[in-house]
Amino acid sequence: MARAIVLHAADNVATLVDPGSKGEKVQLSGKGKGEAVLAADIPFGHKLATRAIARGEPILKYGKTIGSATGAIAAGEHVHVHNVEALRARGDKREAS
Amino acid sequence: MKHTFLGYERPDGAVGVRNAVAVVSVMDNCNPVTRAVAQAVHGTVYLPGSYIRGQLGRDRQITLQATAGLCLNPNIAGVVLIGLEPRTTEELRALVAPSGKPVEAVDIQIAGGTIAAIAHGTRAAARIVRKVSAQRRTEFDLSRLRLGLECGGSDTTSGLASNPAIGVVTDRVIEAGGQAIITETSEFFGAEHLFAERAVDAAVRERFLSEITGLEQQIMALGIDLRGSNPTPDNIRGGLSTIEEKALGAMAKAGSAPLTAVLTYGESPRRPGLHFMAGPAPAVESITGLAAGGCQICLFSTGVGNPIGHPVSTVIKVSGNRNTLDGFSDNVDFDVSGIVERNQALDDAGSQLFDYLLAVASGELTTSEILDTRESAISRFGPSM
Repeated sequence: MARAIVLHAADNVATLVDPGSKGEKVQLSGKGKGEAVLAADIPFGHKLATRAIARGEPILKYGKTIGSATGAIAAGEHVHVHNVEALRARGDKREAS
Repeated sequence: MKHTFLGYERPDGAVGVRNAVAVVSVMDNCNPVTRAVAQAVHGTVYLPGSYIRGQLGRDRQITLQATAGLCLNPNIAGVVLIGLEPRTTEELRALVAPSGKPVEAVDIQIAGGTIAAIAHGTRAAARIVRKVSAQRRTEFDLSRLRLGLECGGSDTTSGLASNPAIGVVTDRVIEAGGQAIITETSEFFGAEHLFAERAVDAAVRERFLSEITGLEQQIMALGIDLRGSNPTPDNIRGGLSTIEEKALGAMAKAGSAPLTAVLTYGESPRRPGLHFMAGPAPAVESITGLAAGGCQICLFSTGVGNPIGHPVSTVIKVSGNRNTLDGFSDNVDFDVSGIVERNQALDDAGSQLFDYLLAVASGELTTSEILDTRESAISRFGPSM
């Protein structure tokens, strides 16, 4: 079983420390307990959602906001640049802000 | 327990962990001569020049001061300046001479071209190397150490293992009365509020926050999306999704000590404790700033792997990524993957890294020194005219 580390009890993501395949169970450790099931193939070091995350909801790691979900993310999905955006130093968004 | 290392005391009282003679270009047009001299003489390091000619105002001042700072770094025992014309060379010599280190200068126009300049420079470097090679290491208290804190080729294991392990070492060096400098301004975006709380007073807190927000405002004013450069493509491949995620992991290198002061690029600390140096994130420019600020050793955390070191400041590469330790091992000095793989206690991994730091400070060579994967480049802060 692949392993994943949860860094803070408030987090909605865990970091895989093994490569994981779709449908594989993942053992959570650190500040998280139990298992998750991967909804996608996820590489070593990448993140999975430990619960469903709504569009626009903050992504929490270290108990802090590391970005925002650009679409709905199901539990077990790969959480990365395809569905998360940085909120800082976004000069491209200055008109909107 | 009192910790010590074996180092070289300089005339100005600073203590080096290496005993190199720097062959230094005063400006970039001298680099071919400088390179030839450094290649000809054992015990030297090559410091290429970055611009100078055509630079103005603050930009020129920073380049000149940082070049002097590299010469003043305690790892440097003596200096050969290779210049084009005497006026600028003497300007640099005046900044280095108060250290009491042997300094000689050769100007290519005065020497009569490159061949003559290489001959003069080679003899000067040989004289200084012979002289400084007589010096022996003696024992010094850990408080004489100034650590640079750097990360490059980061991934999610950097935040899980290598950065926090470095943080344990940073705390120990500072507890012993030493100094540490963290830098890479943009890599505080999203973590600055946490770090600002550690400032010793309101003035330091404001100065730190103004460096972070000032850079972010510049990015915003230019209409740039930082995602075009940071996180880098290899950071993203390593699982880092945003600058905020990278910053929260990167900050762990600074351990838990209070933030004593804020430094400009290449500036030396004047007090013990933890410092922040405003500067760019890419490793070569960043470690050059730390070396110019007098760091004898840089603890360099890497996830997916970054091979670069610095000719002046000894770089220790630390990784907690088992794939990098396996497939990039030629360029890694220290393995902290036990934190990820075997639930090794952070303090335990940090203690082992601390012991290794003392060994390196006393003379054990690191991978970037052995393979000479070293580079130096001073940042630009304005255009040439």
